[in-house]
Parts: sequence; C-alpha cells; structure tokens
Amino acid sequence: MTGTRQMVITLFVVAVSCAVILSFVYAFTAPRIADTQARLTLSGLEEVMSAHKYVEVIPDTLWEALDSSDNKLGIVFRVFPQGYGGPIPITVGLDTEGVITGIRIASAAEGLVETPGLGAKITEPDFTDQFKDKCLADVNLAQDGGEIQAITAATISSRAVSEGVKKGIEIYATYVASACDPMDVFPQAGGFSEIIADTLWYALRDSDTLGIVFVGVTQGYLDRIEFMVGYSKAARVTGITVLYSKETDGIGELIRDAEFLEGFKAGAPEAISGATVSSQALIDAVDGYIDRFKEYVE
Amino acid sequence: MTKLHIFTRGLVKDNAVFVLMIGLCPALATSSTVRDGFGMGLAATFVLVFSNLLISILRKNIPNEVRIPIFILIISTFVTIIDYMMQAFQPDLYRALGVFVPLIVVNCMILGRAEAYASKSSVLDSVLDGLGTGLGFTLALTVMGTLREVLGNGTFLGMSVFGESFQKAPVIFMIMSPGAFLVIGILKALINKYVKKELR
Repeated sequence: MTGTRQMVITLFVVAVSCAVILSFVYAFTAPRIADTQARLTLSGLEEVMSAHKYVEVIPDTLWEALDSSDNKLGIVFRVFPQGYGGPIPITVGLDTEGVITGIRIASAAEGLVETPGLGAKITEPDFTDQFKDKCLADVNLAQDGGEIQAITAATISSRAVSEGVKKGIEIYATYVASACDPMDVFPQAGGFSEIIADTLWYALRDSDTLGIVFVGVTQGYLDRIEFMVGYSKAARVTGITVLYSKETDGIGELIRDAEFLEGFKAGAPEAISGATVSSQALIDAVDGYIDRFKEYVE
Repeated sequence: MTKLHIFTRGLVKDNAVFVLMIGLCPALATSSTVRDGFGMGLAATFVLVFSNLLISILRKNIPNEVRIPIFILIISTFVTIIDYMMQAFQPDLYRALGVFVPLIVVNCMILGRAEAYASKSSVLDSVLDGLGTGLGFTLALTVMGTLREVLGNGTFLGMSVFGESFQKAPVIFMIMSPGAFLVIGILKALINKYVKKELR
C-alpha cells in the first residue's frame, strides 16, 4: 500500500506545484497580454481612421472615432466575410458622411488564411487603397459594375472583401450619423414629425403638437457651433445640446457645460466670463433661430 | 560519452526531424517562413531544456507507475509558460504559430527525451541533451523555413533576396503545405546520400 500512497502523494504534489507556478506566471503576464492586445487593436484602428480617441461601442467590433473636443468623426468597425480559405478580418473606417476613410485587412500572421501570393494580395495597399474615399454605392468589383479592381486570379477573395465592406456599412450605418436625437432636448414628447429634413421637427404627444425641435449653426470663436434646441408652445426652451464645437479647450468649450446649457430653460443664461465670444454667439444664435421658427408653434 | 558528445548528438547525429523523423507535424506546419520556424524551434527548446532539467532533478522521487502523467504535467506547465510569454511579448509570432504552441505538449520529441534520457541521467547531462535536441530541431526548422521563404516568397526574414521581379511571381507552392513535404523529402534524401553513416 505504501507504493500506492507514494504515487498519489507525488502526483498530487507535482500537480499542485505546477498550478502554483502557472498562477504566478499568469499574474505576471496577464496585464501585459491585455496591454499588447489593446495596443494592436488601437494601431489597427488608427490605420483606417485617425482620431484623438476611440470609444468601443460593441466590444471588438465597433468603435466611435472622436476628435479632441469629443466631436464624432465617424466609426470604425470590423467584419469577417467568408473568403476563399476562411473568414477575412477587415477593419473599416467610415466618416460621418458615409465615406470610407480606409480599410485594413489582417495579414497572414494575424489569421488571414487566403492563398499566399494570390488571395493574400488583398492585404496589399494596391488593393485596399481603392476603397479610400468611396461610399457604399461604389464599393463593388469593376466586373460587378463598381469601381474596385479585383486582384487577378483572386476574384473570390476580392469579392468577399467588397461584399463584406458593403454589408458592414449597411449594418452599422445607423451609428454613423452624429448623435442627434430630438428626444434629448424634448423629453416630454412622445414622437416627432420632420418638417425640414435634419433641421426642424414637430414634437408630438398623442395628436397634440407640444412644440418644435430645431438644429442650428453659428460661428463661434474658433470654429462653427452646431446645436439642437427644443422649444415648447409655452415659449420655453425645453432642452439644448451642442452637436459640434471646437472652441478653446477649457474656455470656449465650457459652452458644453450642463450648468450653462440649463440656463437656457429659464430664459437666457449669462455669457461665460472668459468665453464671451463663444457663449454669446450661442445665446444670440438660439434667440435668432427661435425668432425664425416661432411661427411653427403658434 | 563526453559532455560535448551529449550536446552534439541531438544537434546532428540524432537530429529529431532529419534523422529520427519525429516532431514532423510542427516541422511541416510552422516552417513556411524563417521567423516562424526559428520561433517554433526556440519555444520547443525552452520546453525541452526545462522539462529535462526538472525531470532529472525529480527522477529518484518519481514512482515508476505514474511517471508518464508526471512528465506530461511538467511539460505542459512549461508549454503554458512559453505560451503566455509569447502572447505577452511576441504577439505576431504567437498568432503565426497558432495552435502549434500549445501542441508542443504532445510533441513526442519532448516526452521521448524525458522518458529515454532525463529520467535516467544526471542533471547537467539532461540539460545538455535537451539543449542539443532542441537546437537540432531549431536548426531543422530554420533550414526548412529559409528554403521555403526564399523560394516561395522571395524574401529572407522579410527582406527581399532576388529583387522585385522575382517577388512578384515567386514559387508560391513552396510556402504552401506541399512545399513542406517536398523540402523535407529532398533534405532527407540529400542527408542520406551525402552524410556519412558514422556521423549520423
């Protein structure tokens, strides 16, 4: 019996020691592995669309690209259409107008399994650069009536890329438009009906018109300021958000401050000291737009 | 047998791939480029050296009946270590080698050296044996990788060898799977013909 006991004990001791060693190695490498992964992902994103930062919307699949003032530049997404040898990992950058800013296809070392020298040529700039500055309608192979020249003798791989990019744009198109939901500035409404495309809406509840929501633009101190305002029948601002601005960091950009914007609901806010040009421009513009659209609520 | 002999035996005379014909699966699959072949060889060498070392240290305490599970435990521990390390520090290489890194566990070259040598020999001898066998494996994979990358892609470690025109239309066949069989067959034939029996 001593033999059996020794066997069990030795095996147990070795197994436990191995587990302990591995847990230390894991603790040491896990953060580095996560780091490396994150860096690889980021450099992949930068290649298709340069931005100040990327906000992950769907893990490993969809990112919003933002500039240094948090304005949305577009989106970056990944698709994996079936190629000749296996799924093709493609990263696509799409700006807010729906124009492709660039695409990147993972190399063989990163998991592409197309035929070396033939299908694998889809990773080369000669092919991928063709997608730059194209929109959905142009992304087709030349033989299918589009503008993309397929790689000779690799039509299946080439077509898989163009179809994959198209499909991705169709799926993620809703994320492209910069966030401008009238509900944000008119929470009391149950629905909206558009009067002027992308500019003016009626805010409705049941069949009553509660007021209007409009989008306006004005010149700030450095750049234009785009904003959306809700305006009720009772001649009150129900809410306001800044859609785009690129004013001086920490000064003009204060116009995005909730406190300042809240001021509009109780009449007009004070101009922000130190940022008079930006804030006064916004205050005046809101007034001007209300004057212009007032007739719709009356 | 001198220490030098123990080391060089695995390197040349008992070369795992070209003479013993073991560990062929990773040798064929990961030798499409110089970098992959060399990286795979070094990963296997790391596992060989350390598993030989540990098994040799423990050889008097391992009961004969459970030696195989214990060898496998030790080997898989080192394989997991190298797997994590590569993921953290060599992510590109790790992705290129793919499933073949974890599969080092079942490489019969490693269990073979543990069973046939490390479990019966002194610590220093076992380490030398592991190093020799591992570097012999690395050498084989690097030679195959060189031939296949140069002919199949026109590059060595990614640098152009024959210039642009060759690179546009290389012998693609060589970096695909059939090229691996062809290269190993031709190398084996050449070794059989030209390397003297005594040396082998």
